[in-house]
Amino acid sequence: MVGTGDDRLSRRGFLTATALSAGAYGLAAGCASESSGPQAKNTGKAPQEVFTAPTRKLGGSLSVLMWSHFVPRHDKWFDKFAADWGKRVGVNVRVDHINTVDVPRRAASEIQARQGHDVIQHIAPFSQYEPAVLDMTDLVQEATRRWGQQLELCRRSSYNPNTRRFYAYCPGWSPDPGDYRKSMWQKVGLPNGPGSWDELLRGATEIKRTTGVPCGLGLSPETDSNMAARALLWSFGASEQDRDERVVLNSEEAVAAVEYMTRLWKQAETDEVFSWVPASNNQALIAGKSSYILNSISAWRTAMGTNPKIGDDIFFVPALRGPKAAMAAQHVIQQWIVPKHAANADAAKEFLLHYTANFPAVTYHSELYDLPGWPSLVPQLNGWLDDDPYGAKPANKLALLKGAASWSANIGYPGPSNPAIGEIFNTNVLPTMFGRAARGQLTAKQAVAEAEQRVNAIFRSWRARGLVGG
Amino acid sequence: MSARRAGLADRDGFLAWVMLLPSVIYILALVGVPFLLAVAFAFSDVTTGDPSYDFVGFGNFTAVFDDGVFWRSLWNTLLFTGCSMVLIVVFGKILANLLIADFHGKWLVRFLILLPWTTPVALSTISWLWFLDSIYSPVDWTLRHLGLIDQNVVWLGDPNTAMLSVILVQTWRLTPLAAVIVMAGLVAIPRDIDEAARIDGAGFWRRMFEVTIPLSLPVIAVAALFGAIMTFTDMTVSYVLTRGGPTHATDVLASWAYFRGIEGGDVGQGAAIALFLFPILLAGVVAILRAVRRLEAR
Repeated sequence: MVGTGDDRLSRRGFLTATALSAGAYGLAAGCASESSGPQAKNTGKAPQEVFTAPTRKLGGSLSVLMWSHFVPRHDKWFDKFAADWGKRVGVNVRVDHINTVDVPRRAASEIQARQGHDVIQHIAPFSQYEPAVLDMTDLVQEATRRWGQQLELCRRSSYNPNTRRFYAYCPGWSPDPGDYRKSMWQKVGLPNGPGSWDELLRGATEIKRTTGVPCGLGLSPETDSNMAARALLWSFGASEQDRDERVVLNSEEAVAAVEYMTRLWKQAETDEVFSWVPASNNQALIAGKSSYILNSISAWRTAMGTNPKIGDDIFFVPALRGPKAAMAAQHVIQQWIVPKHAANADAAKEFLLHYTANFPAVTYHSELYDLPGWPSLVPQLNGWLDDDPYGAKPANKLALLKGAASWSANIGYPGPSNPAIGEIFNTNVLPTMFGRAARGQLTAKQAVAEAEQRVNAIFRSWRARGLVGG
Repeated sequence: MSARRAGLADRDGFLAWVMLLPSVIYILALVGVPFLLAVAFAFSDVTTGDPSYDFVGFGNFTAVFDDGVFWRSLWNTLLFTGCSMVLIVVFGKILANLLIADFHGKWLVRFLILLPWTTPVALSTISWLWFLDSIYSPVDWTLRHLGLIDQNVVWLGDPNTAMLSVILVQTWRLTPLAAVIVMAGLVAIPRDIDEAARIDGAGFWRRMFEVTIPLSLPVIAVAALFGAIMTFTDMTVSYVLTRGGPTHATDVLASWAYFRGIEGGDVGQGAAIALFLFPILLAGVVAILRAVRRLEAR
């Protein structure tokens, strides 16, 4: 009898568990997949793609490892674009998209194993891979011959002045403007958002005091907090290194920047900025739980598709003015590397030239997320920024990005994005420095001194390998 | 022909080796080789981008010991392991009692108890990341609606609550393993001892502390040591929930080794940090083996 009862229960349990599992899977898939949500609608016409015959006979196969773009439309276009090129030149192209946070560890394992993809793309500096990748100087020279001067921030993000090699090829980038909720800032007398760090402190404090909505500059071990830390340092006249790759972090300017962040956190933020992952500030802005964040335009594009009312309330400001400058870090920097183990390096380089030649399509299909590293490549850009082909309200909402290159800098500015800078970025030295002072664990001066000690150790380690100057 | 086959089957030594060979190969390939590689890397300047080997002596260890984050991570590892171990044992014992009890719907309770252990750690930790989200946390939502809090706790944003969260998630994850181990010990206790204690008038708590726990102590020790070792080497919970933050408050040796070695690119220093786990783990293994031997002697 008992056994029978148990059996009946098991069957019911099985069915219930199956139904619950299916439901949970559906829910998880819906939450996790950005691509499953609605997208901004395009009203314009995609640019014509161009094809230039390769300079040499190509064949075999070409494998590409790259991120899953924050704008899903881009990947759909890219995969077809790459396959079409392959058909025309006789190369079998395979593109593997993975989560951007997985790209470094995948690249590391492929390089250690000396086998894997022919081309790897990442969206943050990849300078530590220099000894294991092909020099891209020939490609950069060819691109410069065809399309003129490359943007300085792209050059500094892919060139090592000590070894005089281009360890990566950088045809595109994305800016990191300030994103703010207009309706909130209007009420504190700044309808066009903050223009300076002082205005940010004043306005964000007032918004938090009156509405409880905090400011959203991160202090967490993640990418956006790293970008914000650098924007703040540069605007106060400080930096990790100078032009010649000498460590200069410990300065009065850096201490002033840290003291500012401490005030901002105490007056206008909450604990949550210490817990954030890269998507958190986007979520907070869209949920009405943040008045201002530093991020790309993708959060706003998502909101345009999912909740147009909120999307229309999100506006942008350029880098905030500080006591010494108005500078922001680039948000995304395209890094294409060809490992020495690549079986089809010729096809890889030809494909990258073809990709670059079609940058108008890249910019268009990324919904103006990817901007060109060679500005002459996309003559339509200013027109699109003045009259957004994806239906921004107002249509010129992104017009401020026309001058984005003038207020954006590479990670490591005013020096190059060398491996020491990469390690400082990836081990979150700067967000920790700001965070320790904000929490009162150290004074601003002590936090800067502690960070400088770590920065010096990292620089020493990479200098010993001959990859960093100074 | 058949005599030759019988001869092979009769050779205990040969058969023992054949049976053990897959395990030996598995351990050598997936534990031995990576361990030796880690030792070699710890004395080298290997980076993620440069696999070529140059011997640098104890340089990586010196650099690692000069880094305040390393010592913070070591302290965090000990705290994380110690607290988790105590909680895992206590909850494991309670759950083991539930697992051996006879009641209606036992299968469902057993299923739910074992679920955290059977779910892949990354997946279950991501679920906890959502549960503890600073804005959309259902835990905070529930507490708010019960009137216990006014606003979200932001579990992962404060150094103390972040460490508490990491410990509790690790406890939640490993408690089922401890429960199953302890349950095996409880089942092995002869029923007549418990019945004799009952007849003598011993109540539940007295039987628990004077009969059950002393008799199952070696098994509880094994459960504790398994939990400790699995916690000591774990980086998933800390990495997924907090990425070691805020301000390295939840960085453990394993996560810091990963940050330095893989994300930072300095494989040599990452390996030196990871190798620091070895002597402590070795002591743990010795303790486990001694406990098991004591158990066998009973």
